[in-house]
Amino acid sequence: MKGISLMKLSCAEAAELCTKAEYKETSLREKIRLKLHLYFCRTCKDYHKNNKKLSGLLKKADLKTCSSQEKEHLKNKIKSEHSQISQQQKKQ
Amino acid sequence: MEENSLHPDKWVDRYADYLFNYTITRVNDREVANDIISETFLAGLKSMKNYKGEASERTWLISILKRKIIDHYRKNNSAKGQAEVKMNFPDSDNEGDWLEEKVADLTDMTAEDQMENRELGLAILECMDQLNEKQAAIFKMKTIDGVDTEAICNEFNISPSNLWVIIHRARTSLAKCLEKNWF
Ligand SMILES: [Zn+2]
Repeated sequence: MKGISLMKLSCAEAAELCTKAEYKETSLREKIRLKLHLYFCRTCKDYHKNNKKLSGLLKKADLKTCSSQEKEHLKNKIKSEHSQISQQQKKQ
Repeated sequence: MEENSLHPDKWVDRYADYLFNYTITRVNDREVANDIISETFLAGLKSMKNYKGEASERTWLISILKRKIIDHYRKNNSAKGQAEVKMNFPDSDNEGDWLEEKVADLTDMTAEDQMENRELGLAILECMDQLNEKQAAIFKMKTIDGVDTEAICNEFNISPSNLWVIIHRARTSLAKCLEKNWF
């Protein structure tokens, strides 16, 4: 039985592995443990399914974000322009 | 946090990604998109005193952004675009409306599901507002920018296990937020 208890996974651990699996970062051992847990646990199975769906949506949306440099650049621009505008308003 | 007031020092963190996605799906050029967003923020600063607080900060910025995108289209295909404007709307008061519609359905040239994907993207970004700053940053780095787990852990000084818990929470919250319309 020792082998099986080693394989046993709490739902919290399973959730972590589920998440990891969406980023393809689970090891073979983790994959097997997760699969086994999902086989017996309805809650985690549903979570797993939802998680897959979310990954699909994220892929479909193909989000693009500004890089941190681009953001820094924008922030600096706003900052200097903002202070200029407030100075002008003080003068008036 | 006050709902309808302006906080320019927070604009980039709060809205840059949203505005960027809105723009990039319409102009298809990173550099142009960045220029347009920068112009939008600056125009926003200049017209801050006109902000009545009727719309949310985001909605207000998007209305400015739309005008900037229209300006960009105008500059790009001025001759043809203007002829079309005149033909469709002799009454120049309506010009803005027409162009706004045009911005809304530029999808003419793309497929219908591309429009759906664009809406989906904006919905996801809107849902991300519900995450706290750290959660959102980590989720974005991992999911959108595909940064290595190790690199993120180093930057935020967290363990891999922490990282997965944070991402798990972020994903749970996103799924819940998207559930009604997209699941
Ligand atoms: Zn479970």
